[in-house]
Amino acid sequence: MGVRAMSGKGAWHDLIALDEIEEGWVTRVDLGARRLAVYHTPSGFHVSLALCTHGGADLCDGYFDGHVIECPLHQGAFDVRDGRPISAPATRALKVFPCREEDGRLQIML
Amino acid sequence: MTNAIITPLTQALAEGKLSRGDLKSLMQRSNRPALLRLVVWVGVLGLTSTLIAISFNSLWIWPAMFVQGIVLVHHFSLQHECVHYSVFRTRWLNNVVGYICGFIIMLPHKHFRYEHCDHHTYTQLPGDDPELIPTPETIGQYLFYLTAIPYWRTKFTELFRHVAGRLSAQEKRFVPRVEQGAIFREARIMAGLYALILAAMVTFSWWGPLWYWFIPLLLGEPVMRFVRMTEHVGRPLVAQMHENTRTNLVSLPWKFLCWNMNYHAEHHYVSSVPFHALPRLHDMLKTHIHVQSGGYFGAHRDILRQVLTHRGPGLDGGARDER
Repeated sequence: MGVRAMSGKGAWHDLIALDEIEEGWVTRVDLGARRLAVYHTPSGFHVSLALCTHGGADLCDGYFDGHVIECPLHQGAFDVRDGRPISAPATRALKVFPCREEDGRLQIML
Repeated sequence: MTNAIITPLTQALAEGKLSRGDLKSLMQRSNRPALLRLVVWVGVLGLTSTLIAISFNSLWIWPAMFVQGIVLVHHFSLQHECVHYSVFRTRWLNNVVGYICGFIIMLPHKHFRYEHCDHHTYTQLPGDDPELIPTPETIGQYLFYLTAIPYWRTKFTELFRHVAGRLSAQEKRFVPRVEQGAIFREARIMAGLYALILAAMVTFSWWGPLWYWFIPLLLGEPVMRFVRMTEHVGRPLVAQMHENTRTNLVSLPWKFLCWNMNYHAEHHYVSSVPFHALPRLHDMLKTHIHVQSGGYFGAHRDILRQVLTHRGPGLDGGARDER
């Protein structure tokens, strides 16, 4: 997973092959010290940190529908397009990362 | 690596009790099963209300109100499912139905949601689980709990406290600071609506709510206390979900009323699984969890045995709840 290109403040990092991403669902990917959640949505791919901002549970074990990821522990939910919390008990936004498709792989900007 | 917290679900996945494929299949949401069940639900309420109507001016009204009350108090089960957003796929429907149920049984929905989060995080841990029902130490305590007097005392105290703009120390732990105002607003709106209904009753001599709602609710609440005790009371005060929670095998009418929440250990393992998929989850986990046969009475026989023999619910059979 090398750094591909510099752009502005960050750089694009290879994350996962597109055909390894579960269709219409959430896929867990570890990148260095980060646990990330990759979402296949009707509007394309989105990437966020994988841990819920409320209780720290792994969102990759949660229910995913459309653009909404729901925490498996307390069912707080986030819109994966911008990370904003949409249901209690989540009140803090989820960190999301810009991503792009490149040579059959998904890359994220870090 | 930034590690997620360990939850019953992550444990079940790690131990191979469930696969990610199972999980994905079990968690799928749909509006249809709940809407169909709600149609029957309203029909049952219509039937029990009719029983009250035709038994006015006779002593039969009391059993009729009791039956109505049993249905009314089970709005708790539906509200509980709505707290988990698992009843309907359409997310806002869970909130609408949850608030309606909460109004019927005087359980503010948003406050319950936050309280219930800590119940799932700290299940059966004294001092941390805000919904922990202490295991009675005497038959007197057992019977007093079943009257629902302590329950209503707690609920009215909570409502008045929130109307006054205050939270208890425990509530401050589970209600985020940014949501405190919403908790107070919710309580004030709810109390205001109750006051309006009471005023309308007095002004227009309209006593329907008394006979069809308030008295049945009071008569039925002991049944809900009886049901709620079967979930955790008498189980060990430990964090292990396969120990601290009972699944109760009950008959179809009770499953209908409690929205399959008799599969309580399964629910605690994977709270994202909707009510209609809990029987399937039960088939996968039944050898891993504590399954109580004999229905709700089986659980109460277990509780009463502990009360009568003065054996507490600790793993060693000696530890007792602190509260």
